[in-house]
Amino acid sequence: RTSSASFSPTHKHRNKSRTAIMSQPKVSSKKESSKVHKLALKGSSKVVSEFFEYSINTILFQRGVYPAEDFTAVKKYGLTMMVTADDQVKAYIKKIMSQLKDWMYGGKISKLVIVITSKETGEHVERWQFDVQLFGKPSKAKSSKKTANKENTGPDAGEPVPEKTEQEIQAEIQSIFRQITASVTFLPMLDGNCTFNVLVYADADSDVPLEWGDSDAKEIKNGEKVQLRSFSTSNHRVDTLVSYR
Amino acid sequence: MASPAVCTPVRNSHKSAFNLRTAGGRMPLTPSPRTPTRQLSDVPGAQQESIHGTNNFMSRLAGRSVSKTSVRDSPKSNIARSNNSPRRLELGVSDWALTGTGNTTSTKQTPLKSRKDGVIRPRVGKSRITYNAADRFIPNRTASDAICNVGGKLDLENRPKSSKGEGSAILATAASAFDLGGRGSEDDVTLSLEGLCLDDEDDGEIYTKPSPNAVAYQSSLASACGVSLNTRILAFKPAPPESSKPIDLRSQYNRPLKPAGGISAQFRRRVPSAPERVLDAPGLVDDYYLNLLDWSSGNQVAIGLERSVYIWSAESGNVSSLLEVPTDTYVSSVKWSGDGAYVGVGLGTGEVQIWDVEEGTKLRSMFGHETRVGVMGWNKHILSTGARSGLVYNHDVRIAQHKVAELVSHTGEVCGLEWRADGAQLATGANDNLVSIWDARSLQAPKFTKTNHRAAVKALAWCPWQSNLLATGGGSHDRHIHFWNSTTGARTNSIDTGSQVTSLRWSTGYKEIVSSSGFPDNSLSIWSYPTLVKNVEIPAHESRVLHSCLSPDGQMLATAAADESLKFWKLFEKKAGAGGASRESSATVKASVVKQMTIR
Repeated sequence: RTSSASFSPTHKHRNKSRTAIMSQPKVSSKKESSKVHKLALKGSSKVVSEFFEYSINTILFQRGVYPAEDFTAVKKYGLTMMVTADDQVKAYIKKIMSQLKDWMYGGKISKLVIVITSKETGEHVERWQFDVQLFGKPSKAKSSKKTANKENTGPDAGEPVPEKTEQEIQAEIQSIFRQITASVTFLPMLDGNCTFNVLVYADADSDVPLEWGDSDAKEIKNGEKVQLRSFSTSNHRVDTLVSYR
Repeated sequence: MASPAVCTPVRNSHKSAFNLRTAGGRMPLTPSPRTPTRQLSDVPGAQQESIHGTNNFMSRLAGRSVSKTSVRDSPKSNIARSNNSPRRLELGVSDWALTGTGNTTSTKQTPLKSRKDGVIRPRVGKSRITYNAADRFIPNRTASDAICNVGGKLDLENRPKSSKGEGSAILATAASAFDLGGRGSEDDVTLSLEGLCLDDEDDGEIYTKPSPNAVAYQSSLASACGVSLNTRILAFKPAPPESSKPIDLRSQYNRPLKPAGGISAQFRRRVPSAPERVLDAPGLVDDYYLNLLDWSSGNQVAIGLERSVYIWSAESGNVSSLLEVPTDTYVSSVKWSGDGAYVGVGLGTGEVQIWDVEEGTKLRSMFGHETRVGVMGWNKHILSTGARSGLVYNHDVRIAQHKVAELVSHTGEVCGLEWRADGAQLATGANDNLVSIWDARSLQAPKFTKTNHRAAVKALAWCPWQSNLLATGGGSHDRHIHFWNSTTGARTNSIDTGSQVTSLRWSTGYKEIVSSSGFPDNSLSIWSYPTLVKNVEIPAHESRVLHSCLSPDGQMLATAAADESLKFWKLFEKKAGAGGASRESSATVKASVVKQMTIR
């Protein structure tokens, strides 16, 4: 169980992205011969939002937000994924996803958060956070702060993208879902009387439909945090973090 | 109020550009009609005074110069009047800063003088003089410092610098700031004016824009906290749908590897909703309190129809009439003995008869009850009979003095009576809404009397796989099935069926129980136990189902209803196995043979 006591995603990500960048030449040179399918930004956004949809379903199932009977099994990512069969929940997720896709295509989203809240106490008991990093779009925090260092990080904006095959991406996503599933072993038992909320960290200039409104981060007080695996496409990198009481 | 300002040209061209802006478009090019020389020479003195007494200075200024400065002439006329060469005029516009302030400004241009002196240009340079408050003299720094000129934002940026080090210097230079004649240094003037300006802003201004430093600080703070200033946290506001029930994650974690949903959908057993066979049961008394149907271990079905008892052989399908009682009474209950050889028949008169079915002869009659015997139950050689009086008698059918026990507890008609398979306990239900559980070894009083039902209790069933589990079903006002632990007397579960429960039968092969319903459903319902999930509901009869009984192999349920029909349902078909399959095949073979014969 790895838990990081302090939490500073921006730093973490910056470091990570940098290491990723440094390792890229190796990867790409290795992959040159193999058949490489580079996903366009739109395709990449689709992969990420699809990942989000299955993540929401998986978390709702694994954490008992809805009864297991309400879910059906589908094959995805080489796994048997549980997706809700309940019409209401389906419609609810669909509504979220349609907006999420718009934002994803616009590159407006930096985080997706699923918060599980106890119905009885109203406390946030579990928080699944997916950090989205869009390659080629220097984050504002970076540019404002790191101008001095920018020269050293190399052609950051140009971004030599890692060219992965779809199989590789799928394998990465698969291992995230395996981790999410396996996380029930260390996550505390939920009492089964929980509800959930979906938060999105969007750029300030995003179009916000009526159904979405500003919210606090719904952080878990004094929560444990566990960083799970990540996956990346040609345009996005998604990190997974679960925090719990 | 007339608040004149003296504006002297500055040569510095880039400064003058700013000055032009701040002059609010006023560019008085007119030299004072008075002698410029005098005017200028006056200024230093006046300004020096102003440091010590601003009001005085102002009034003096006003007195001297206002009248003239308020006059604005067209440039043309200016040119004409002043006799300045065009070149000179041009200088005045572009090279020299001519600063007027706001509405109360009057300016004095002294091109002549400055030209004349030539070197004096540093003069009052950029002294745009404003009056913030009525009595205060505020030089505007924007006239003096190009960088600071851009807007309030930049002013603020500079603030810390000046307030830090130069507090006293400002005052000092402020004193000398207007000593323009004496002090030639342009830089000094600039500095001092700036200092003054800052001082005054401190007093009077409200800052609307954050300084760049503050912004930088905020953003660094924000990034350190993992929050971006450019990011909004948005929540999807509609509340998520309610979960249909609370979830016990433990059971979910223990689920089989294959998904539970798939299993239940794929392997949910099919229960035929059509009867296997329908028989007419003419004359079946529509009376909830009677028990007129029973299936023997020898696979024979006995049914009491009015005054007769018929035996239907499930093996052969033959029907035979076993007996007919006198016209003054009727059959109120039938019950097979455990070995399937004898049938007990309760009559409306309270008489109980024992018949040998094979022989078709009555073995004996047992009297004792004063009222009709609605229910009976065998426990080996003991026949328990419940009567309308509420009394239950135990008869030892082997001996002459047959009545061996009198079970007194009910005050209403006894309509339900079941021995536990091992004969250790007896459950009785009656029209007094009570369920009594008796210990076979002490029948003086019931071990437990349950008052939960709110209607007559006819349906009673002991669980075949858990000997101390008793299911009881209530009548139309109650509609509940209760499950009891007969050891502790605790109620372990309940179902609200929504209709009168007329009978209950546990499956022997499945963890299920079937209930038959009266009004309004007239249906059969199969419930899983202990989940209490209703697996299937079959609309069974046109009117209320009165009685039910299971075949000896536990697969078939027979139901008799007030629509005077007897139906057989294959509710608990044995799971696909060797036995079941062979039986199936033999049955189909038989059917095909029959068919062939019919064709011939």
